[in-house]
Amino acid sequence: MGKASDSETTMLAISRRNMLRLGLVSGAMFMSAGSLAFGQDGSPKRGGTLTIGADADPIGLDPVTLTAYSSMDFTALIYSGLLRWTPDMEIEPDLAVSYEQPDATTYVFRLREGVKFHNGQDFSADDVKHTFDRIMDPASNSRLRSYYANVAEVTVVDPYTVEFKLSSPDAAFLRFLATNPDGVIVPKGVEGLTEKPVGTGPFVFESYQPGQQFTLSANKGYYEEGQPYLDTVVFKFYRDQATLTSALRSKAVDMTWLKDPRVAAQVAKTSPDLVSAPGQTSRTFPVWINLKEGPLTDVRVRRALSLATNRELCVQVVLGGSGKVGAMLPESHVGGYDGKSELPYYGVDVEGARALLAEAGYPDGIDLGEYIVVAANALDVACAQLLQQQWAAAGIRVQINPMETAPLLAHWNEGTFGTLLSVALSWSADADAILQRIAPSSQFGAALGIKDDELDKMIDMARAEIDPAARAELHDKIQRLIADNVYVLQVYQYPLRWELWWNYVDGYEPLAANIRSYVRTTWRND
Amino acid sequence: MKRLIIVRLAWTFAILLGVSFIAFILMRALPGDFVLAAAGTTSVSAEALDGMRAELGLDRPVLEQYLVWLGNALQGDFGASFVTHAPVLQELAPRFFVTLQLSLVAIVMALLIGGVTGLASARLRGRVDWLVRAINGVSLAVPNFVIATLIVLLAGLYFPQLVVFGYTPFAVDPLKSFGNLLLPGLALGLAVSVTISENTRAAVLEVSNQDFVMVARAKGLKRSTVLFQYLLRNAATPIITVAGLQVATLLGGSILVETIFAIPGMGQYLFDSITRRDYPVIQAIVLVAAGVVVLINMLVDIAYIRADARVRL
Amino acid sequence: MSLVNDDIAPVGSTRRSWRAQLRGGSVLLCVGLLMLAIMIVTTVLAPWIVPYDPSASIGMPLSPPNAEHLLGTDVIGRDILSRLISGGRTTLLITGIAVSLALVAGLILGLLSGYLGGIVDETIMRILDVVFAFPVFLLAIAVVAALGPTIPNLIITIAIVYTPAMARVVRGPVLSVKQWDHVEAARSIGVGDVRIVSRHILPIVASPVVVETSLTLAQTIFTVTALSFLGLGPPPPDPNWGGMLAESRQFMELAPITVIAPAGAIVFATMTFIILANGLREFLNVSTRR
Repeated sequence: MGKASDSETTMLAISRRNMLRLGLVSGAMFMSAGSLAFGQDGSPKRGGTLTIGADADPIGLDPVTLTAYSSMDFTALIYSGLLRWTPDMEIEPDLAVSYEQPDATTYVFRLREGVKFHNGQDFSADDVKHTFDRIMDPASNSRLRSYYANVAEVTVVDPYTVEFKLSSPDAAFLRFLATNPDGVIVPKGVEGLTEKPVGTGPFVFESYQPGQQFTLSANKGYYEEGQPYLDTVVFKFYRDQATLTSALRSKAVDMTWLKDPRVAAQVAKTSPDLVSAPGQTSRTFPVWINLKEGPLTDVRVRRALSLATNRELCVQVVLGGSGKVGAMLPESHVGGYDGKSELPYYGVDVEGARALLAEAGYPDGIDLGEYIVVAANALDVACAQLLQQQWAAAGIRVQINPMETAPLLAHWNEGTFGTLLSVALSWSADADAILQRIAPSSQFGAALGIKDDELDKMIDMARAEIDPAARAELHDKIQRLIADNVYVLQVYQYPLRWELWWNYVDGYEPLAANIRSYVRTTWRND
Repeated sequence: MKRLIIVRLAWTFAILLGVSFIAFILMRALPGDFVLAAAGTTSVSAEALDGMRAELGLDRPVLEQYLVWLGNALQGDFGASFVTHAPVLQELAPRFFVTLQLSLVAIVMALLIGGVTGLASARLRGRVDWLVRAINGVSLAVPNFVIATLIVLLAGLYFPQLVVFGYTPFAVDPLKSFGNLLLPGLALGLAVSVTISENTRAAVLEVSNQDFVMVARAKGLKRSTVLFQYLLRNAATPIITVAGLQVATLLGGSILVETIFAIPGMGQYLFDSITRRDYPVIQAIVLVAAGVVVLINMLVDIAYIRADARVRL
Repeated sequence: MSLVNDDIAPVGSTRRSWRAQLRGGSVLLCVGLLMLAIMIVTTVLAPWIVPYDPSASIGMPLSPPNAEHLLGTDVIGRDILSRLISGGRTTLLITGIAVSLALVAGLILGLLSGYLGGIVDETIMRILDVVFAFPVFLLAIAVVAALGPTIPNLIITIAIVYTPAMARVVRGPVLSVKQWDHVEAARSIGVGDVRIVSRHILPIVASPVVVETSLTLAQTIFTVTALSFLGLGPPPPDPNWGGMLAESRQFMELAPITVIAPAGAIVFATMTFIILANGLREFLNVSTRR
């Protein structure tokens, strides 16, 4: 799988730096960054401050009500949930010590004892129930309610045992629980988490000056022995990517992530002391299609569009090769696309595209009108221009309309765009959250005008399939079906966050989940 | 005069009312709103979005929303930011202070650069004059965001240890706070320095030819004494007027410079708030920005009228 | 009646020192005009002189200047020289039309306001104050977000933004000229308003307006490029200088030319109008203060 090549890149970055600093030649022993942290320099040092460069302010810090992706950078350090992700994206217990599954729809969690919230309150099964009560209460307007739609009942068995009863088998359930902040626990009887978050995580909210900095201090009573190592974590805000890059270079921040893989690769090259970790590909660049009306309701026109698209060239030019050809699911998901296998209408065939167009009644080519893209995302705008040229070669003409984010989202959510619209998806805990974007029975699929009972049935089946191998197979079929009908035109996939940090920061692990959970094991080696 | 000021103040109020109304209607007429912008690409169900809108009062008719806002604003309540839930004025005050601080640094920079070059070109004439005019031409022709971009890139590349990006709050370390603003202030103040340089030059030339300077010089006073005591004191008035007028320009220019230099001022806040559709904040910033512009205009107008009246007498 | 003829209006008090003026302002004016000529010629000839299709990716991305691509290629492999020339066309087109519109609107409003005075003056000026006080950026975002980032929309936005300043520049001289003896004399012998304005007031107002227009052109180039820099410019793939700067500035280290070329073009264009304004100011003997 493509995972190997990603860790190869990580490995290369680390080994190069070690060659220079320690004279080590072989990089094989540094397969994972974790072994590097503890294996080589001995025990972690305590204390110090880690400064992280952030590019957006949080919008609310209450995990139940927040919707903004930018908030999750902060909640990831403040809260913790029953389960969590390992660096290899496996699920492991966190606030739970273990769980068992007596039948396909029942999960029983044994909770960790002696855990305290940041306000001193004891953590118990009541808090778990309280959290899910809040999520399920329509008055909370929680986005998580639809994620946990299958949860029928949460029962407190005893103070340290809690039972979840699902209405049907659900492969996504545990993955949502493991994801921060989708599955984190909030304390019972505490209000105003939006401004004053209280969790069980490794760091305690200290202060926040909007646009300036966000300060966290170590949770002295954190339940993982000895962790966290750092005293303080400070986020500093740099809206502009170029300034963020300069801040990293000048060591005004110790760690950050950049949006553009080409820039990240270039920055990493400037100093041997910079560690760069692209992470797994977690984001795809799709072209959403209006299937409700117009020429694109004809599958032949859509197939022509797909045949005219040179995906590999987009990867090379726009991402500088730091990505892969994409399908509906990025490869970090169960059954995600590896970027290499054959998919219907993925080969570049300009003549074939013209022939399909002629067959559909457009022998002289076709004008598809506006193609809307996110103006603020330089990568998207660059790729759109490349696609425009590729499509034009096959006689498909579009006019690019770079749009401000808020109206673009309105058009996308409500399906009110003319023909084509691109907005990349952020990382989701489960493949199902991505597939819901085109599931005919979901509000999003309906807005796009996708009508396909088979697809709907397969998406439902995939979510209910608990066996990973069987689920992967289903996901493969779904992606083929989507590619065959070109319900959405996927171009490429790439790591959303290309993380970079100075090599005196040790013990950190980037996650494909795009959250910085491993700041808890991070320490400064200077 | 008093009547004039009262009439002008009434107009100012009317203008602010007009600006606030247009801004309100314009922002809400745009597709996309706060809850959508906040959710981004995270899947949020339509019901949850509607629920959030109802909580913020965004489900009511626009005119009703405006009247509610206006009613509260007239009582000094500008609402709470959608993003932080804190009162808008409490959010705005520190950022206004930062922008003021930045404008101050820019003005001081501009006065220094403009004053020195203007004085030099007026006193030394000849080649220096041409050199100054050439420098001024370039300073005026390079947009502040181009300078800012170049500074950030070059500093990041070649002087990474010297330049610290971001902002240190004044309360934490006043010296560092101003230090952080030097480069952004330079980017912002360079264009203003040209106006000041030209005005200084003109004023110095004009004053030099006036009788009292001649008299002072004839009395045998030292050159420098004449220059600074008589010359500058008399030339200062028009220069300060011009500098004051430039404050409006600075407020407008601060959006790009603050964004590029990561300075949490009002310009950056406006940019963010428009992107996020944080309506209460946008309203407040528009009012403050318009208020400053109108106030300065009013002062300048009154100053002109007074000057005119003096001439007539 | 025949003794007082309004034909003797002092149209050009400056004409007396025509030669002296020419000597003082000629150098700047000539340089300005030359630069303007270069820009206009490149703009007009743009479709014929661009080496490549400015929107086509034809080379390796970010390649340095070479024989094939004199200024190298941009982030997705397009010829920078072609984009620069073609982008200049867009930028100057927007600037030119927008400023012309602002000029016409400013002249009409300024003349009406200054000449009629009273309640008309107050109303026009206060409405313009509202426009003047409105943040440019908010207006631009609103127009672009609501109507789309097309060239006509940009032109209208910028014209609206610069109308108040233009109107003010016109109104000032009109207010004082109106009181001048020859104008009052003309009025007293029953010369019509239109004739007074066109024969007596417009010529006096013309000089400061010409200078102001040139300065506004420079400022407009700022505004157009700044808006494009923020992604509010004309839609891609049509090149524009601000957009070129914005999309390439992160790659300055890899390919400095991608940043220097558009930055240089912006500076050249603004410089042209500033030099022209200064030359005109000296040539027409317009006082520095507005």
